Amino acid sequence: MKPIITVENLSKTFQVRKHHQGTLSVLRNFFTRDSRVIHAVDNVSFSVNKGEVVGYLGPNGAGKSTTIKMLTGLLVPSGGTLNVNGFVPWKERQRYVSSIGAVFGQRTTLWWDLPVIESLHLLQYIYKVPEATFKQNLKEFERVLELNEFITSPVRSLSLGQRMRADLCAALLHTPALLFLDEPTIGLDVIAKERIRQFIKHVNDVRETTVLLTTHDLSDVQKLCGRILIIDQGKLLFDGALDTLQNRFGGKWQLVVDFAESYPNVEVIGAEVVRLEGIRVTYAFDRSKLSVSDLISRISALYNIRDISVQEPEIETTIRNIYEGKLLESPL
Amino acid sequence: MQHILGSYFRLLGAQVRSQLQYRASFILDVFSTAFFTITEFGALALVFTRFETIGGWTLAEVAFLYGLVELSFGLMDMFFAGFDPTFFGENIRKGSFDQLLLRPVPVIWQVLGSDLTLRRIGYVFLGLTIFVFAVHFSGLEWTLAKVVYLPFVIVGMVLFFGGLFMIGSSFTFWTVESVEAMNILTFGGSFLISYPMSIYQDWLRRIFTFVVPAIFLNYYPALYFLDKPDPFDFPFIAHFLAPVAGGIVFALALAFWKFGLGHYQSTGN
Repeated sequence: MKPIITVENLSKTFQVRKHHQGTLSVLRNFFTRDSRVIHAVDNVSFSVNKGEVVGYLGPNGAGKSTTIKMLTGLLVPSGGTLNVNGFVPWKERQRYVSSIGAVFGQRTTLWWDLPVIESLHLLQYIYKVPEATFKQNLKEFERVLELNEFITSPVRSLSLGQRMRADLCAALLHTPALLFLDEPTIGLDVIAKERIRQFIKHVNDVRETTVLLTTHDLSDVQKLCGRILIIDQGKLLFDGALDTLQNRFGGKWQLVVDFAESYPNVEVIGAEVVRLEGIRVTYAFDRSKLSVSDLISRISALYNIRDISVQEPEIETTIRNIYEGKLLESPL
Repeated sequence: MQHILGSYFRLLGAQVRSQLQYRASFILDVFSTAFFTITEFGALALVFTRFETIGGWTLAEVAFLYGLVELSFGLMDMFFAGFDPTFFGENIRKGSFDQLLLRPVPVIWQVLGSDLTLRRIGYVFLGLTIFVFAVHFSGLEWTLAKVVYLPFVIVGMVLFFGGLFMIGSSFTFWTVESVEAMNILTFGGSFLISYPMSIYQDWLRRIFTFVVPAIFLNYYPALYFLDKPDPFDFPFIAHFLAPVAGGIVFALALAFWKFGLGHYQSTGN
């Protein structure tokens, strides 16, 4: 199968003008052209297959938004090639954007003073959505996103969560093959976040819409993304499944065991005791060398176990380690 | 093209419906812009209580210039409001311009449809009133040619000032700090051509003839409509260049807009 997104050696450099300060700074800014070059996206390559949900992660200023802007045709790349759904986004922008949907976090595409439904009708015309498709899509989205409670209210009166739901509906009315989301859950409460995630999942399951989303919220990634890309300082650091990331770069797993009685020595081969609190003992182990079940059988062969719980390493920690360059010397 | 125009008119409709939600503010705006024009024109009329004519022009004749500019500028300001550099620069800064690039309609039409300042109707209406007053008291004699030419003069001025708005907006692709300088040119220009060109110094008039061809927009058509002699001895055709001058400025503005948009897409902001 041919990938729906193909990105090869994509780069984007910006010239940033140095701004002088102090007296006559305005004149100096005008007449001098001191600038430095910033590599916002540096030789990035990846491809995405139809129906994938890919999380695009990185700290602020890592190059996420610049990548999304190139993928949606807003920015022209400085180097490399880019093909999305058979289009070169920036070259064929007008025809290309009919085949994608995009929601950019805090900004809305809706008309501030108009009721949501009027905005949707306007977009129906702009995207040339046939009446039957429009009705069918709207009915489905009304149900899944529960738009009914506010569909006749002006956009300015909506809460952030409601606005995001309306914007998602607007982005998908023309049944796009791809959906780009830049920080879709930013600033939302837990319930609103969960609703947005369920909707994204629904759209992906039912319509096989390919989704690429940037986020800072790792629960978004855990619940939605089969695959993640990690970018920092313009360079792609990781491309793969979340599990792979955990296994390769994650810290150690922990096994917390409550013993039936107190033992003087609870050492086990292949695991390290990191905490001892009465009958509760915490072991740390490397899951790529020792499976959970093997460890449990080793322990239970020696001691009497009452209760057990397994703790995955925190994904936040893993990713922070990657950002800090502690774990990844050779990419991929 | 049908889809583009359809989208444009629907976008305008959305603007009208949005603005009519704030009825009180709308009425206040109409009155305040009207009040502004009345005081400005009142001040001009007061000058004529001391002097019979200015540069050989009576009050009614100057009112012809003034009313025509006011009317055309008001129309332009209504329909090119999306290109008002202050408004447009704000959209660039906030990133809402990007939303337009994500829709399958040419950006220019979407910008035109992104604002319609209905309250400018006060301007247009007053300009029209002053113009009618001028036509009545100046003793203008209508001919078929004058009736046919009048709409072209208005369109020429709308294109001219619309072009200046577009050039100002295009500058904001590089920097939003340029907005004020461009506003001075646009609003100052509309103020200057409200008066007969014969009252200005030679150097200023030359700029308005050869650099910015504003002299052909209003002054020369007025000479023709009012059957006044041409003090600068231009060929007779000069009277009919309003749509040409407007068209040239607008075409340059379009080219500069395209260039600016290309720059924006290759640099971001």
